[in-house]
Amino acid sequence: MYNENALNKISRDHRWIGVTFFLDLINGLSLTFKYMFSRSVTMQYPDREKWVPYPRHRGHHVLRRDENGENKCVACELCAKICPCNCITVVPYEDENGKRRPLVYDVDMARCLYCGLCEDSCPEEAIALGSVFEYSSYTSEELVVGRDSLLEMDGKTEQPGSVVKARYLPSAQSTVEAQESSGYDWWRFIHRKD
Amino acid sequence: MELMTAVAVIMVKVVLITVILFIVPVPLTWLERKIAGHIQQRMGPMRVGWHGLLQPLADGLKLLTKEDNIPDQSDRVLFKIAPFVALVPPFMVFVAVPFGDSVSILGYETKPYLSDMNVGLLYILAVAGLEIYGVIFGGWASNSKYALLGSLRTCAQLISYEVPMGFAVIGVIMLSQSMNLSDIVDAQEPLWFIVYQPLGFFIFFIAGLAEAQRIPFDLAEAEGDLGAGYHTEYSGMRFSFFMISEYLVMLTISVLCVLLFFGGWHGVLIPLPAPIWFALKVGFFIYLFMWFRFTFPRYRYDQLMSIGWKVLVPLSILNILITGIFVY
Repeated sequence: MYNENALNKISRDHRWIGVTFFLDLINGLSLTFKYMFSRSVTMQYPDREKWVPYPRHRGHHVLRRDENGENKCVACELCAKICPCNCITVVPYEDENGKRRPLVYDVDMARCLYCGLCEDSCPEEAIALGSVFEYSSYTSEELVVGRDSLLEMDGKTEQPGSVVKARYLPSAQSTVEAQESSGYDWWRFIHRKD
Repeated sequence: MELMTAVAVIMVKVVLITVILFIVPVPLTWLERKIAGHIQQRMGPMRVGWHGLLQPLADGLKLLTKEDNIPDQSDRVLFKIAPFVALVPPFMVFVAVPFGDSVSILGYETKPYLSDMNVGLLYILAVAGLEIYGVIFGGWASNSKYALLGSLRTCAQLISYEVPMGFAVIGVIMLSQSMNLSDIVDAQEPLWFIVYQPLGFFIFFIAGLAEAQRIPFDLAEAEGDLGAGYHTEYSGMRFSFFMISEYLVMLTISVLCVLLFFGGWHGVLIPLPAPIWFALKVGFFIYLFMWFRFTFPRYRYDQLMSIGWKVLVPLSILNILITGIFVY
């Protein structure tokens, strides 16, 4: 403790040397110079790059199919029961094989809070929150998504989150199409103090 | 016939220099945004042209099409002429600035500057001081508290920093025994004046930062407390005139630093053509200005004044004294 104070006192007494030669200013200049030539962290999102989310990302809902290509959902309505904001509507019916299937499976994306409880409660692992995050709309009616489009949605990603090359398609409902399956890890270029 | 040729040559030079000076701020705005971006690990403009190179053109087009808004209670005449008053002096400065040795084009021997006046340096300092009128007019005529405060600050700042700037230049004049800028540059052929005048350069550069109203002395347009300073109320073309004049003042200071302390167009080691050496050195100083801008915070107003009067003025007088002892 005593030594520390003495050191502080010495450095305080000799601060004028640094001040005279603008050491702190030079310090700052060298820091900004270093940053100037380090790689920028900008993700050029709509134009050239796109973020592929982590596998745990909770995006647009998706209904999974089994190995025969049939809807896994058995319309047990557990997801609709557990949903905290009542955004899932399930109406069951009996199909030609005598199995219970959803006739209606609507998810209101505008009301959903993406908690993932439906995914946890599903006994058949049919409903899941996938990797799609570009589904904005001008009307909230368009955000109520039905069973058939849920079946066609992209599921979870295999790769960890990365930035891939992409192409912006203004004609196709302003979507950004990813052109590679894996890119670089965005966090690599973030400067952190140890 | 002789007279005709001389007049024609001067006309060509005037047009050339004016056009170049109007064009130079355009890439500088792009450069500044790029440097700002990369220092902050961003990319800066990327979408218009290759790496945003056409962004200044888009900005210029936007400014041209904007409404030329004049505030209701303003002094309309002063408000309208202020940008021009601010714009003209930086152009006038370049009348006396030499860009290189004499060259011969199509067999005609000519020198790459408009006027080889023997009081060039004095003329430049005097004319550069006129820019302040544009700032005062702009701030006063806007009838806005931000503009008025900004122009008051600028006024005090420019006046107090002109003193050390003029004093710092005296050392150079004593060494070269001339106020003619091409003579000053020729006197630096064996050794640049930065070696003899490190203190003088230091004072000149800091005073130049203040004259160009760049960070850390940009109190005139401190965004946080004054909006945009004296051009808060301006829009469209008149605003862009203020911006052009600011960039030209920055260019003037860089050119003067190179001419007075860094050997003008004389190169070292690598034999390059004189204009390229000159442009490289000026570019370095412009980069320095921008680098400073995105590194340092702004000084407080009282700090600005005390640096000007209590540090730079005594130091510059000391510099004159030391130079005098060594010269005689």
